[in-house]
Order: sequence, then structure tokens, then C-alpha cells
Amino acid sequence: MDKQIRIALAGNPNSGKTTLFNKLTGANQFVGNWPGVTVEKKEGKLIVDKEVVLTDLPGIYSLSPYTLEEVVARNYLIEEKPDAILNIVDATNLERNLYLTTQLVELGIPVVIALNMMDLVGKAGDTINVKELRRQLGCPIVEISALKGDGVRDAAKAAIEAAKTGKTLPQHRFSGPVEHALAHIEEVTVHNLPEEQQRWYAIKVFERDEKVLEKLQLSAETKAHIEQDIAAAEKEMDDDAESIITNERYVYIGQLLKGIYKKKGKGQLSASDKIDKIVTNRFLALPIFAAVMFLVYALSMGTSIADGGIALGTFLTDWANDVLGEAWLTEGSRAILEGWGAAPWLVGLISDGIFAGVGAVLGFVPQMLVLFLMLCLLEDCGYMARIAFIMDRIFRRFGLSGKSFIPMLVGTGCGIPGVMASRTIENERDRRMTIMTTTFIPCGAKMPIIGLIAGALFGGSTWVATSAYFIGIAAIVISGIMLKKTKMFAGDPAPFVMELPAYHVPAWGNVLRGTWERGWSFIKRAGTVIVLSSIIIWFLSGFGTVNGRFGMVDELYGDETVVTDEYVAVVAERMGIPEDEVEPMDDSILAHVAQPVSVIFKPLGFGDWKPAVATVTGLVAKEDVVGTFGVLYNFDARAEQAVDEETGELLFDEDGEPVMEELEENGDQIWANVAADFNDFSGGHGKLAAYSFMIFNLLCAPCFAAIGAIKREMNSRKWTWFAIAYQCGFAYVIALIVWQLGRLFVGGMNVVGLIAALILLALLCWQLFKPYREAQKLAVQV
Amino acid sequence: MFAWLSANLVNLALILAVVLLVALVIGSMRRDRKAGKSPCGGNCAKCGACSCSQGCAHGGR
Repeated sequence: MDKQIRIALAGNPNSGKTTLFNKLTGANQFVGNWPGVTVEKKEGKLIVDKEVVLTDLPGIYSLSPYTLEEVVARNYLIEEKPDAILNIVDATNLERNLYLTTQLVELGIPVVIALNMMDLVGKAGDTINVKELRRQLGCPIVEISALKGDGVRDAAKAAIEAAKTGKTLPQHRFSGPVEHALAHIEEVTVHNLPEEQQRWYAIKVFERDEKVLEKLQLSAETKAHIEQDIAAAEKEMDDDAESIITNERYVYIGQLLKGIYKKKGKGQLSASDKIDKIVTNRFLALPIFAAVMFLVYALSMGTSIADGGIALGTFLTDWANDVLGEAWLTEGSRAILEGWGAAPWLVGLISDGIFAGVGAVLGFVPQMLVLFLMLCLLEDCGYMARIAFIMDRIFRRFGLSGKSFIPMLVGTGCGIPGVMASRTIENERDRRMTIMTTTFIPCGAKMPIIGLIAGALFGGSTWVATSAYFIGIAAIVISGIMLKKTKMFAGDPAPFVMELPAYHVPAWGNVLRGTWERGWSFIKRAGTVIVLSSIIIWFLSGFGTVNGRFGMVDELYGDETVVTDEYVAVVAERMGIPEDEVEPMDDSILAHVAQPVSVIFKPLGFGDWKPAVATVTGLVAKEDVVGTFGVLYNFDARAEQAVDEETGELLFDEDGEPVMEELEENGDQIWANVAADFNDFSGGHGKLAAYSFMIFNLLCAPCFAAIGAIKREMNSRKWTWFAIAYQCGFAYVIALIVWQLGRLFVGGMNVVGLIAALILLALLCWQLFKPYREAQKLAVQV
Repeated sequence: MFAWLSANLVNLALILAVVLLVALVIGSMRRDRKAGKSPCGGNCAKCGACSCSQGCAHGGR
């Protein structure tokens, strides 16, 4: 059997490595149109030759040890010594990309250059003399377009060929004093290393690369000896060693490209530059961003196209809720099971428990798919990368780093990779702060909560969904400003350098793959964790002790000898509701446990046991908030006091008697019941209470899985608890302010609550606007 | 005994189906956990956006 061939895929961030990797291996790695998508290396076997293993390395600009990506990439290249390097070079940014190439060819590993985006070069009217470039660099060059798949197999073939027979010798020579020092270093320090790697090590020693020096374990005497050579070169060149190497590489590249790279209309703005002049404009950027996100949410979660809006997502979700969730899953299964003569408790478990819970969550899949499709389109065309740039400008003003925005972008799919993506932030304080705040951005699992509140309480209003997104961003900015003013997080923001990719027509493969991956993770969770939660919630809400007898509360309430008038009065008093509103579920295990806990949420406007349970189950999985509502509110239509649609106030007739109305018997039953209940326990201010509920659930601690990710990334129990406490505390304060101040406008103001809200608001403003001060004295003696 | 079984056959079959479903769900979640897949349902081992794609599988950084 032939020996396995290992090829490393190396190149600058966002040069198309992962796209090429996917094309060559048939993998479906996530492709993001912003730099830094790949942090760890990934492996895959070539489709055309399974004996060839391709390793996708993180995008790097150099082989310096300054970032995690650079360390991962260079450790692999030096320690693992792949048989060949396939260096993907962005032909539209040749000068900057070749900086890495000049270092790769020094590693002693055969290098093949895949000149990517040649189609864009041609489109711009530019020309590259590839033959001459190949001659000058001394390695094979293949022109490709990774996105279109042009030339990718030729590049792989060339890399395999190079791995078998090739050898790449660096053509570049530094100036005399540097070469003199390098020769000395090679002779004194690295002569016992493999010959082909000696030059690279010598250059790194010359640059005083700490990691290399540490690895070589040079004696003090040797160090002193080579230091003389380096110092002599520095004196002669009048610069520090590292800068000398960097400068000489760029001078070499500049000379190399003369006559090879001909740019048409030099100095003229490209199409991307022209778009950016508007899209990233200092004054227009934010309004454009707001308008784009409003459109995204209007299309996915706004008013349904059936009701005169533009939301295809809502239209499909309405169908999924009405037909799939209610008519087919819940009612359909009930009819079938009853037809089979199944026991009532089994019908309840399967129809009202499992199918109602899972159906409630699955009903939101169409809205999520439309939303993810929109976000993936924005990512793939290059717009989201601009948002990171725009946000950096804003973040920096408040002492935050734009690097924190990349985890936020990733977090719109799922909070876990969002938290993990914070690894790219080198500054420990900024990293911790990013971990603490990333989950404020609404992840996919929180979308059903937004969809539920927007749909059930606000008639599909687009601004509710859009505001949820911007509340997430505002929470990150506000938290960042406040935390930066504490001793724990004080300090200058980490520098954020980011290359803006050229705009291009989205690749449908990437867009659909991204949409499906995010949607599938949601569907899979509905089939696993939501099933289990629904069963548990159904049991706890369906069984209980009624007047000393344990059993199914529905059945026990049908027995008049058990449920007497006196007993109903006791339950009504315990639950704080009128006697005619007592329902069997009020005697369930869940109601008994949750009712005392729900007091905590009274100041936030949703101090009832059902939303309290939904909030707690949201810690298991955020989708579970909706799943829990699905189980708890899945009862038949009932008469409810009518509510004025305009004001949300309860309606009374001329005699002061409540106007009762029968809730519609259709697929929206669950959500109509939710809306009616929110109106009930909030004194007719259901919309405000629901908005406060949404804010709390969006901002409070994420699900257990994301908390686990926070714990791993913080690597500290203390910091993990601090993060959870901060998130819950912040969510509580914001929801309280919204509910209490909101009642100033909608009525039913509570003086104590209002004072508490004003005090908290004042404290927030004080922390936000107080001047930033660096520590005046060192806390630790040195 | 036989009469009771035949009278409750549907119920027994449904109970068995629910128990099987729960076992499958728990088994699948345990397998995912062991394989290092994120409990978020997304496959971290495949997710290029997830910098933990290697780390997750080995329990962290």
C-alpha cells in the first residue's frame, strides 16, 4: 500500500481555504465570509485520492507566534512536517498574501501556490504573469477559483506531485549583514536540525522569536554569541531585527511584482470600494444596518403575507402551527389514540405532552429557516464583515474591541460556538467580557420566544423581532461600557485588524448549507431534549394532589366529592386568583413548586407560575420556553374576558360586568391562551408583560450547554458564576425597568416599583456616563 | 391474565413505544456527548465557526 500523503492548506484569512477544502474533500465545513472562521486545523481525505489527507489550517498572515491561529498553523508545519503545502493566495491581494508565501518556502517543505480568485482579477481587467511569478518564486502555481471550483483538482494534483517529487528552495536572499548573521546562527545553533529547516530556524532566531529560542534551549554562551551578530546587523541596518526581516520581505515582494502584476485603472475605486463608501459611511452605516436588519426580521418574523405583510416566515409558521402542530400532531394523534381506545393518561402524555411540546417548537422552524437564510446571504455576500468593521468603530469609542463582534456574529446561530469564538481575543480581560456578553445576542433557540411574543401578543409586529436583535446588541455595548469601568475589566481595547472581503454574489451552496446546518441543529434539539422536557413538564403539570388525593388533576377535578366549593376557595387563595378561574393544573406538582418561585418575577410583570416554569426550563434549552408553553397552554378553547385590541385593556359592559368571549378554536389556540393568560395576570397589560418576559429570557443566563461552554472558556468556577450572576442580574434589571416604567404609559403604575426602576436606571446611567479612569497606583508590588 | 393483556394491548404497545423513544433520545444524547458533539445539536466537530471543533471532543481547551 502506498504511503499516505499529507498536504497542508495554508493561506491568509478569508483567502478561500475552507471553500477549497470543502471542494477537494467533499466536507461541509462552515464557510464564513469574514476572517478568522477557522481557528483550529481540520482534516479531510481528498475525493479523488483517499490516500491523500488534506489539513485545513487557520488563516494566518505570517508565521510569527503572535496569535493562536499562527501558533496552531506553524506548530503543525514544523512539528508534523506535511509532505507538501498548498498555499492558497488571494490573487486580488497578491502583495499581502505573498508575505506568507515567502515564509512558507523557507520551511523546507514543497510548496504549490493555488492562485485563487483569478476570475475576479480578470473581471477587474488586471493581469498577472503567472509564468514569470512561478519562475521567480521557484514553485508551481495553479490558477483557481475555489468558489466556482475552477482548477481546484489541478491544484490538488500539483500538490500531490510536489509531495512525491518536489522540493522548494527559497529564492529570496536578505541583504548582506542579515545573511552574514544568518550564516553564523545556522552554524552555531541549528546545524543539528534537519538541513531543510535550518534556514527557517535561523531566521526565527535572528528575529528573537521567543518560542523558537525556548525550543532550541540554547546555552547562555551561545545566546550571547549570536546576540552579537544580530546586534551588529541591527546597528548596520539601523532597525530592530524583526522589522529588518519584515521590511526586506516586502521590498522583495514589491520588486517581484513589478512587471508581473499589471493593474488596470490603478488608483480607481473598485465596485466594492464604491459600495463601501456608502455602506460603511460614518453617518449612513448604522441607519443602513438598522434598515437591513428590519427588512430581515420583516421578511422572517413580521406580519404574515396573508395579512398584508411581507413575512414569508410567519406565513409558513402559521401554517406549521395550525396544520402541522395543532391539527396533525396534537389533534390528529389524539383522534387516532382515542380511536384505538388508549387510556386517557396515555393520550394526554403523547398528544398534550410530547406532540404539543415538540409541535410548538417545530412550528417556528419556517421562520427560523427564512431568518437564517437572510443572515447567511448577508454573510456570504460580504456585508456582515462590514458590520464588524462598523461595530468596531462604535465599540472602540466605548473602550471595547471590534474583535468582540465576531463571536456575536457566530452566536446568532448558537451561543456555544459564539462563546468559543472568543478564543481569538488575546487580551484576557476583553475575552472574559466577550464570553459574558456574547449570549445576549438572540441565538437560533431564542427565535421561537421572539416569534411567540411577536406573533401571539403583537399580531406579528416586525418591530418586536427587530428590537429583540438590537436589544441584544445594546446589552452588549452597555455591558461593555459598564464593565470596562470596573477594575476587573479596565484597560485599552485590543487592536482589531480586519480585511474586508470584496462583495460577491452569494454562493448558493454556502448559503443553503449554512441555513440548513443552523436549522437542523434546532430540529434535532426538538427531537431530543425537547421530547424529554415535554414528558417531564406534562407529568409535573398533569399530576398532583387534590384535596389529599394524588392522581391526574383533570380526573380528580371531575370528581365533585374531591373538589368541593371549600377546596376551590382554598386553591383560589393560594394561587391569588378568583374562584371561577381555578383550573385543575393549579393543583399540579409544577404549580405547587413554581407558584412560590414566581414571586421573584412579579416586579417584572410575569409573576405567574407558568411563565416562571417556562423561564426555568429555558435553562435546559431556550426552545423549551416555547415547548413548555405548548404543554401548559394546550387546553381547549374557553371563555376569557375580552381585551381591547388597541389598548390591551380588559373590557367591561355598561353594567360594569366583564365582557366574555370564546377564544377561537383553531391552530393558534395555544398562543391565544398564552396571550389571554398574560393579559390576566398582568391586569390587562399583556403586551408589556410579554415584552418584559421576552427581554428577561433573551438576556438572562443561556442554556446549560452554553453555560458549560462558558465554564470551559473561563476555566474558572468563580468567573463562570460571576458571568451567570451578571447575565441574570442585568436581565432582571432591564426587564424591571421596562415593566415598571412602561406602566407609567399604559396605566396601573406601582409607586414602589417605579421608584425601584428609577433608582436602577439612575445607577445604570451613572455607571455608563461616569468618566473612565485608569488605576492610579499599582495594586501589586513589583 | 390473557384477557387483561388483550384488553390493554394498545396501552402496553404505546407505553413500550414511549419508553423506546425516551431510551433512544437518551442514548442519542449520550452518544453525541461521548463523540464530543455539542449538546446544542449543532455538530461542533464539523462546525468551522466553532473554534472548539477540536477542543470540544477532548473536553475543552
